[in-house]
Amino acid sequence: MDNKSSNEIDWEAWQTSFTDETFTNLRRIASIPFLPEKLELVRKGVTPREIVYEEDRLKVYHYIGEGEPKFKTPLCFVFALVNRPYIMDLKKGRSIVANYVKAGFDTYLIDWGTPTKAERFLTTDDYVNGYMLNVVEYLRERRGSDKVNLLGYCMGGILSTMFTAIHQDLVKNLVVLATGIDFSTRESLINLWSDPRYFDADKFVDTMGNIPAEFLQSAFLMSKPIASLIEKPINLMENVHRDEFVDDFLHMETWINDNIPVPGEVYREFAKYLFQQNLLAKNRMPVGRHIVDLRKITCPLLNLMARNDDLVPPVQSEPLNDLVSSTDKEKIIWPAGHVGLGVGTRSHKELWPRAVDWLVQRSD
Amino acid sequence: MSDNMNKAFDQAAAFQKLWTESLVNMASVWSQYSPVSPPVDEIRKMRGGMLKVLGETWDEYMRTPQFMELMKASLNGALDLKRMAREGMNRAHEQFENPSKEDIDGVLMAIRHVERRLLDRLEGLDERVVNLDEKIDKVDRRIAKQEHATERRGQTSETDTEK
Repeated sequence: MDNKSSNEIDWEAWQTSFTDETFTNLRRIASIPFLPEKLELVRKGVTPREIVYEEDRLKVYHYIGEGEPKFKTPLCFVFALVNRPYIMDLKKGRSIVANYVKAGFDTYLIDWGTPTKAERFLTTDDYVNGYMLNVVEYLRERRGSDKVNLLGYCMGGILSTMFTAIHQDLVKNLVVLATGIDFSTRESLINLWSDPRYFDADKFVDTMGNIPAEFLQSAFLMSKPIASLIEKPINLMENVHRDEFVDDFLHMETWINDNIPVPGEVYREFAKYLFQQNLLAKNRMPVGRHIVDLRKITCPLLNLMARNDDLVPPVQSEPLNDLVSSTDKEKIIWPAGHVGLGVGTRSHKELWPRAVDWLVQRSD
Repeated sequence: MSDNMNKAFDQAAAFQKLWTESLVNMASVWSQYSPVSPPVDEIRKMRGGMLKVLGETWDEYMRTPQFMELMKASLNGALDLKRMAREGMNRAHEQFENPSKEDIDGVLMAIRHVERRLLDRLEGLDERVVNLDEKIDKVDRRIAKQEHATERRGQTSETDTEK
């Protein structure tokens, strides 16, 4: 008869646990030499695509679906200037782009390219009223459509929002992901560190010119040092024997370490006008000759936010819905992080079908 | 002098308090260790708990004015060093009559200004063309109205003549 009390050690369970862990460790060690081979299998983007427009460093990709698109209005993805955009099409089963292509949208993505010293003096106006306007005009002409749908992620969402406020007549629907609008709260570390008492944006840009990719990467890393430098390698070692985990990990790490420089003047404007003076939320953000007034946005708006986002907490994104004049607007705060919102397994199972359906209902 | 010393002591005390509390919290994670469960799982749980506490402490520390002052000093130092190095290189390039980064930036700026001026002019021209178009449309409509009126008068006088 087994009369073990709750405080007695279960030696059998201990023994089993040790044995299991030993064999798992052997599997882990045996998997390590295959990591370089698995790294070779990482692809930057999985949905078939073609380049349809180029201007300076910018390229516009058109994603090729099976058959003709069902909807007339084209959908244009706008990503941030700080990373490469293939996060939107990361891998099979984790591709936001593929969801929309499958749903029948004629889908495009703006790849801003990697700025060089020649792009040092490009401003937000060049991106919003220059490049984006040219791309939108091209897409309208290509599809014979009066308007386009815009989907912006992070800084791309800010650019899309500014574009829509200035050129509302060209935008049919606006979807934004993890897009910071109101930077008054200083909840995010990145936003806190840009406080004008501690960070002189003018001195920084005047000295550095374009903002180096390494600087941005260091800032992101420093905002979560324990998670990035300790937990992540431990997590990898614990799961290195699991192929799916390693594949996901390598895809993500490839992208995370693929930062690009940011044109100096764009960075200056974002740091001073957005992070430090919070002019966008006050409807006083200057973009070239325009002052961005979010009240001029009247099109349907879907605002997707990540509850556990350390870079752009929901408190920075949520105010957008109150600042626009749109009557058809929705917000979803999803339990994920900044990147998980776009590529997480649960996001793709539950969130993205909803987001795609939202756009389908507002498309002809 | 004593103000500075007091400030330094206060900062050191705050720093010490933060990290002492962190160590205490990490130790309290271990108080939840249960020898009954298999050690591998428990150690994993303890490790997770400790790293969570460490992460929270670092987050709190990085929000302190002391840390931000440290970051500011470090960044400004690096920028000043870079600026000095660049000025030195510019002078060297000048001596050898080679183009320096400053010269290249100057050329880029000049191109930007020309581009901006041209674009502004083009936008202005665009607006004038749009205005002209509108005026021409108005004139066209007025002419069409007058022609229509003239036609009707012509028809009316013909009818009167027939009567």
